[in-house]
Amino acid sequence: MKIDLRSVFLTLAALAVLGVIGASAVVGFGLYNVSARAGHLPGVKWILHTTYQQAVTFRAPPESAAPELTDAMASLGAKHFDAACRVCHSAPGYARTATMLSMKPEPPHITAAVGDWSPSELHWIVYEGVKMSGMPHWPADRPDEVWSTVAFLTRVQEGLNRQQYDALTAAPKADPRGFAYCATCHEETGVSGNPDIPRLDILSEEYMTRALLAFRTGARDSGIMQHAATEVPVEDLPRFAAIFAAESPTGEAEPETSLTLRGRRIALEGAPGSDVPACASCHGPWPETINPAYPSLSGQYRPYLETQLRLWRAGERGGSEVAEIMHQAAARLSDAEIEAVSAWYSSRNPDELNRINDGEN
Amino acid sequence: MRPLVLPAAAILAIALAGCRGPQSALDPAGADASSLASLFWVMLAGAVVLWLLMNGLIFYAWRAKPRPISSKAARILIFGGGVVFPTFVLFFLLAYGLSMMPDQRAPGEGLRVEVTGEQWWFRVAYWPEGASEPIHSANEIVLPVGVRSEITLKADQVIHSFWLPSIAGKTDMFPGRVTRMSLLPTEPGEFRGQCAEFCGESHAWMAFTARTMTPDDFAAWVEAEAAPAAVPETDLQARGLDVFLSEGCGGCHAIRGTPARGRVGPDLTHLASRGNLAAGALKVTVPDLIAWISHPEAIKPGAKMPAFDHLPREDIAAMAAYLESLE
Repeated sequence: MKIDLRSVFLTLAALAVLGVIGASAVVGFGLYNVSARAGHLPGVKWILHTTYQQAVTFRAPPESAAPELTDAMASLGAKHFDAACRVCHSAPGYARTATMLSMKPEPPHITAAVGDWSPSELHWIVYEGVKMSGMPHWPADRPDEVWSTVAFLTRVQEGLNRQQYDALTAAPKADPRGFAYCATCHEETGVSGNPDIPRLDILSEEYMTRALLAFRTGARDSGIMQHAATEVPVEDLPRFAAIFAAESPTGEAEPETSLTLRGRRIALEGAPGSDVPACASCHGPWPETINPAYPSLSGQYRPYLETQLRLWRAGERGGSEVAEIMHQAAARLSDAEIEAVSAWYSSRNPDELNRINDGEN
Repeated sequence: MRPLVLPAAAILAIALAGCRGPQSALDPAGADASSLASLFWVMLAGAVVLWLLMNGLIFYAWRAKPRPISSKAARILIFGGGVVFPTFVLFFLLAYGLSMMPDQRAPGEGLRVEVTGEQWWFRVAYWPEGASEPIHSANEIVLPVGVRSEITLKADQVIHSFWLPSIAGKTDMFPGRVTRMSLLPTEPGEFRGQCAEFCGESHAWMAFTARTMTPDDFAAWVEAEAAPAAVPETDLQARGLDVFLSEGCGGCHAIRGTPARGRVGPDLTHLASRGNLAAGALKVTVPDLIAWISHPEAIKPGAKMPAFDHLPREDIAAMAAYLESLE
């Protein structure tokens, strides 16, 4: 049989035109039924779920990428989960609502969703999200803080029960209305007691207001705080900042160690050899508050300070318009310097900012 | 030909005018620069003589129809003119040039100035004879006339080169290594030097001023330079100091006599007496200071100093007024 190439091409072209017209009609005339009630065609759910599982397994970072997942991280992760994730995935010991069950695809209960994924696979899922399922990606470019949520999810895998979940996520009874949300993590006094959640009683109203607005606009990255700062009405942000700022910090300086003495030198004199200015010229300890736009660091938690300094050094930490100053200041800090200076500030007395010589006997 | 002579002479006169000025090796004001200039003139004179001789020979061979010479005479001419003569000339020029080196590397006689190349400015520390602590400054070298001063050269992160052509030749500055030279100014005056080794984005904006003065004037200058900064006299200047301290400028900059003790950036104690701002990029005037504080990167690409344009204009103006008063 002789094949007429011309007829073949014309037939293919005609079919292609018909296909485009058909597809346009489906989209343009609303012929495809998007009804969640109607659901997917048979097999589609299997294809989507298998694609998801295979992609996570293929793309997740190696197991060695996971840090130690501490209880403090799990506590922070639980509070964030309660605020941001529970609405779709319910919580340990709680049933899924009828609304959750009516979603398509139906979000699995958190105890099922954690499955037996490894920490780094959980990190990938939480950070990247799953685009065909409605699972959002982490709202900030901050892979580091996702580990707190992963820490919580590993506790769920280990069988965290309802009482334990409630204890981790309980909101204190706090005034005014809405403030309890902030206090869930930061406590009413601003002193969270969790080294991964910064204490706020040592900070000024101006600094906290600037930080909250930077979170709200995305100028400063944090999936946790960007969620919080967009959840709270914008006019409440300065009010809540003022409540924390009004607290009188208490605490005592710890005795100096060889590590804190190294940090003390950097904080008070800088490290001119590596172009690191003296931290104290902006962050105290001050004789008196010199500039409310700059945060006081005395008594701040050490892991929080270390995390922030690493972000500054990497150029990833945003903030208000003064952020550029800190990028330059931290650009050449070494890991050892970050540890030492964080240790020194965290060991200072948060109450008396002017007593530089605390603990030096 | 004749109509071209006048314009050619005019262009030559304009070009030669560039040989004078505060940054010219041909207009020396120091012993080392003088010997380098004479080396240049001797070399130039020799080059002119040789050029005339060679062109004379080419002209002779080309235009005058020479008689053939014997092969023995040709051998003598080729060996004598091609080997013996250049060896002889180059040997004496090399000996003459090398004979100058010991003077260039002579030790200093008292004052030592430590200059560190930073990106992109010169950190300067004066060690007068017998001093236990240096006097910190930046972007300006002040030297006594008639005395050989020791210059110690260092660099922070990349290679720079210290070049003050009116006083001496150039010497490279290396991170992690100390090099040295010595300078013997012979005339009082104001000069300009610059970094002569490509060192990054703003290499072309890395210059310094130099002043040479009589030993008596220099002693008075050292006394003034060692003194703490001027106290603010007007309310505006006082506000400028307040802003300077409360914005944390003291973390990087020192102003002796105030709590500002930073050693990351240039010492500003006597900024206004230095005659240049931002390593020669600007002058110490209120408008220039405002421009610099607001947008350093717009003036010197890659400059480490952060922009402070988020401050109210009045605060920046007050700081500029204060800094401009730091004679």
